[in-house]
Amino acid sequence: MPTGLSSTSTATAASPRLGPVTSARRAVADVGHLARFRAGTVRRRAAVPWTIAIMVGLTLAACTLPMTFPGARTSTRAAEVLVLTPTAFAGFLLLAIISAVASGGGRELISREQAVAFPVSPTTDHLGALLLAPLNIAWLLQAWTLLGTMAYGLPVHLVPAAALSVLLWLAACTALAQIVAWTMEAIRRQPHGIGMVRAITGVFALAGLALQLSGRLGEMLDHVPTVWIVARSTIGFEWRWAEGVAVELVILVAAVVIGAVPAHLAARRMPRDEARVESGQFSARRLPGSVFAMLVRTDRSSVWRSVPMRRGIAVLAVGPGLVAIAGDLDWPMMTILPGLVASGGALLFGVNAWCLDGRGLLWRENLPARPGQVFGARAYVLAEFLVAASLATILLASLRAGVPTSYELSALVCLLLVVTVQVVGAALRWSAQRPFPVDMRSARATPAPPIVMVGYSTRLAVSTTLTGLVFSGLAHIPEWRVSVLAAVPFLIWSTWRLSRTAGVWLDPVERSRVVMAVAA
Amino acid sequence: MSEPVVDIRSLHVRFGEVEAVAGIDVQAYAGQATALLGRNGAGKSTTMRVLAGLIPPTAGTVVVDGLDMRKDTLAIKRISGYCPDVGGLIPRATPWEHLQLSARLRRLEDWEDRARDLLERFELGDVAHRITGGFSHGMGRRLSVVLASLHQPKLLLLDEPFDGVDPIGVDATMDVVADARARGACILISTHLRELAIQACTDVLVLRGGSRVASVESAEMAGEEGARAYRALLD
Repeated sequence: MPTGLSSTSTATAASPRLGPVTSARRAVADVGHLARFRAGTVRRRAAVPWTIAIMVGLTLAACTLPMTFPGARTSTRAAEVLVLTPTAFAGFLLLAIISAVASGGGRELISREQAVAFPVSPTTDHLGALLLAPLNIAWLLQAWTLLGTMAYGLPVHLVPAAALSVLLWLAACTALAQIVAWTMEAIRRQPHGIGMVRAITGVFALAGLALQLSGRLGEMLDHVPTVWIVARSTIGFEWRWAEGVAVELVILVAAVVIGAVPAHLAARRMPRDEARVESGQFSARRLPGSVFAMLVRTDRSSVWRSVPMRRGIAVLAVGPGLVAIAGDLDWPMMTILPGLVASGGALLFGVNAWCLDGRGLLWRENLPARPGQVFGARAYVLAEFLVAASLATILLASLRAGVPTSYELSALVCLLLVVTVQVVGAALRWSAQRPFPVDMRSARATPAPPIVMVGYSTRLAVSTTLTGLVFSGLAHIPEWRVSVLAAVPFLIWSTWRLSRTAGVWLDPVERSRVVMAVAA
Repeated sequence: MSEPVVDIRSLHVRFGEVEAVAGIDVQAYAGQATALLGRNGAGKSTTMRVLAGLIPPTAGTVVVDGLDMRKDTLAIKRISGYCPDVGGLIPRATPWEHLQLSARLRRLEDWEDRARDLLERFELGDVAHRITGGFSHGMGRRLSVVLASLHQPKLLLLDEPFDGVDPIGVDATMDVVADARARGACILISTHLRELAIQACTDVLVLRGGSRVASVESAEMAGEEGARAYRALLD
């Protein structure tokens, strides 16, 4: 978070103002300093080399393993996959933009609260956000998918050139998304900016809907400019390939440099979304009838008044639903959605659930509430948050999927229950194991450091996707009771794990460790 | 003298290798206000957190109003009010919602008028329905004192209540302490501000390196002479 000279700062003989080149150099150097500072705060350092090795290993696997899959290079399916690559390239750009805009300009290399004492420039902030962008499971999964697509569809000798081109495309898209995100943030921070951003988003959503309804979406996707890039990526190390790579490089460098301009513009303006929440009046409501209801109400307010959580859940609830409509997902395929949305929702705050109270946890812990009740209320609010987002997604997706059969509906409802308990259990377990002192005031805040978030998101994605696949299969069996029966062992296992986590919270020593860490 | 409301004997608190409190004995009585003075890291806030039921003692006994902290933590929380040294406020809840939470969990009846009166005395009436995330440090401190005193607890624990607070807030806090003493509550105040501690309290405990090094009447710590004596105890 950038800081500037205060009104009481006096001018010195050597002016603190620097030229653009010196500023840029200093910003790049500062990114290094901040990255080292951030790396120095990692608690389990031994895990870092392992994490890096796993990421590199998975990337290499994505580049090579698909070559060995049945039908690679030769089948009709391989050809079809290649035909879809330009759309996938464009899709990556679109999702990168949505992710960067929703997070208010990308993740912070150093939090606003920590950065306030240091002269961190908006350029440093911009470069830091770019550096952290790949530490996101959605980014990584798409990157591996694109690399895997090339390895599956192309002859082996063409894959290295294509992989290089894909990597450059990923970097260029991330930088382009950052320009859009900073620009939107700069717009959002001016008078009536929030309304303007909503209007812009609405226009794009309506345009997409119009294309879909008029049946021209496919035609448009056949002519996306990424066709030009993909055509040059897939021919091996030739001159035309070099031409494509050169264009990608130019886009990348230009986008990185240009992105600093809206970043400076946004930094000069007040974050209106956050300010509106913090300065607004919330009318008093009647006292709830029970202690549990009071605890739930307090936690619920903490969630829905948080800018990053509100934005995040809106994107999570609406985004996959729109993709499902565009992709004409049928009901069995829809079983992939609740796990995806629940995982994303938990990553907004659930994986460090006690951070909702911040330092207020010190006061809350002195209140005479039974620890079990406090835990129950937090679990309930998290579950409610995840279910609300999943239901919104399913509702959107169902608009095109028609009326489900009883067994399709049963599979989806059972899956929703199972993944919710699964995700709530995992999130609260991690919240107790590794609490972090996080200020969730900024739209760019995350409940845990980026590298930890990658670990959490990977584990959630794997478990919920596997569960989703099981129920996707069950949705084809024409007997609704089968899904119910299959859900029972899942629910017993997840509930047992959740109750074990509750047991940890009941232990005063463990609880005090969490409280002290969160309130640090 | 009557039974102490707070009776701490040989309290030890360890965080891994660090011993934050190393065998403190504290007795504090009804109708008295006791100041905990000492340098940073002396163990003042940790002792307060133990009394507030946040940190279980590693060793030693902590008895509040005849209740054992290990067995009756919840009962002790019902009769105590705590203003933490840092923050102490839920960032996205309003002051009124904080008061409602406290009132509901403590089963308070007809608390609204007193709550409004406290908010007015601490000049927080205008911001009663704004979330505390946007509060200044001083506003947060003042609200923490309001929250600690709403239910007129038998044991009032104020950790750095004067830190960054303006003179009106300091006066209001002094009034809260005087009211609590008048109704027979036991008050513990942890602070770095010796003069204010002496003004608010009857007794002073000086802690150093997690241990108690002096226990005197506050008058003995007053003025230049008291300042020199205090300085000598810290070094």
